[in-house]
Amino acid sequence: MPHFPRPTALRFIVLAGMAGVMALISNALSSSSRRLAWRGSVVALPSFTPLVERPTLPEQVPRPQAHEASRPSVPDRPTPPIPRPGTAPSPSNPQEAVVTSPIREISGQEAWQAFQAGVSFLDARRSAEFVEGHIARAWCTPVWESDLDDRLISFKAARRPGSEDSIVIYCSGGDCQDSHILAAKLSSEGYDHLLIYRDGFPDWLAQNRPVEKGQP
Amino acid sequence: MKRLLLHSKLTLVVRIVLGLFFIAAALTKILDPPGFAKAIWAYELFPAWSLNPLALVLPWLELFCGLALCLGIWIRAAAWWATTLLLSFGLALSINLARHHPVDCGCFGATTHMSEAERIADMRWSLLRDVGLLILAVQALWASAPIRSATGSRPVPVPPS
Repeated sequence: MPHFPRPTALRFIVLAGMAGVMALISNALSSSSRRLAWRGSVVALPSFTPLVERPTLPEQVPRPQAHEASRPSVPDRPTPPIPRPGTAPSPSNPQEAVVTSPIREISGQEAWQAFQAGVSFLDARRSAEFVEGHIARAWCTPVWESDLDDRLISFKAARRPGSEDSIVIYCSGGDCQDSHILAAKLSSEGYDHLLIYRDGFPDWLAQNRPVEKGQP
Repeated sequence: MKRLLLHSKLTLVVRIVLGLFFIAAALTKILDPPGFAKAIWAYELFPAWSLNPLALVLPWLELFCGLALCLGIWIRAAAWWATTLLLSFGLALSINLARHHPVDCGCFGATTHMSEAERIADMRWSLLRDVGLLILAVQALWASAPIRSATGSRPVPVPPS
């Protein structure tokens, strides 16, 4: 066992202390896109297991009531034109269908239908990626950046989405989990029709769909 | 053999290489703490409350360790930290490899998107590199160990080479 004399132990602690002080200073001086909150986290869950329902949802099936108490109130809001892209009647008895999650993955075609219907799109990628290119009219809501809550407040204030309104969330497709994290956060806030664009922005680009560039 | 392993020139090279690795790894993370927080989260080993503090402090700790090793200041304390960090990283990577959970190493910032098989292969390479760096850190630790005098128990620190 190597010797661990007192000066080494002291220096060991001092190195950690210096790192902590520099982290405090640099974080305070960072821009909002590079800053992190010391307390709490953008992810509400210690680890994420996708709570995703893949089959399409029959219209006749009542929506889950789990979030009833925490739902945002939406008095007298009209039903959105196409709130459920990709929804199709079940070939079997619709009463047998079981709804387990307010989060559902959708394909590129369904995302396109939602886009044409004017459904809100949230971009969960980093703001730098958003600036380089994003789905036209999408909102920049980077889950890993410290101003996520402010951006979501701006989005809600502008679009006033109700709990039953569809919201499409996307990131970079593949193994990207940012859209799932954002969906979990919004689900906990009472939104229960969250559509995750599975293949994300790369697929949108490949399909030559409308994109925009520039500041969020 | 021991003299060869603890040769002053070899020790100097080991310190510089290890230090530069730590500095390079630290800079990319210091420039993008949210990206590093995401990388830590992907390991699924840490509670949510610890993600941001770890993402903020660890890169600076790496930088100070790297600088200390390169400049020959507080070598032993820095080598202890390097060993601790490399062991922790190796353990985290091994756990995720064992449960076949592909994660972005996050060592030098975020990498491009990979398939699951590519990610697992990348993790194996990262683990191999970690073992190599761990050997260097142990050498730095060994070379900086205080020498006990022949007459008493008071350790005589080795002057930095």
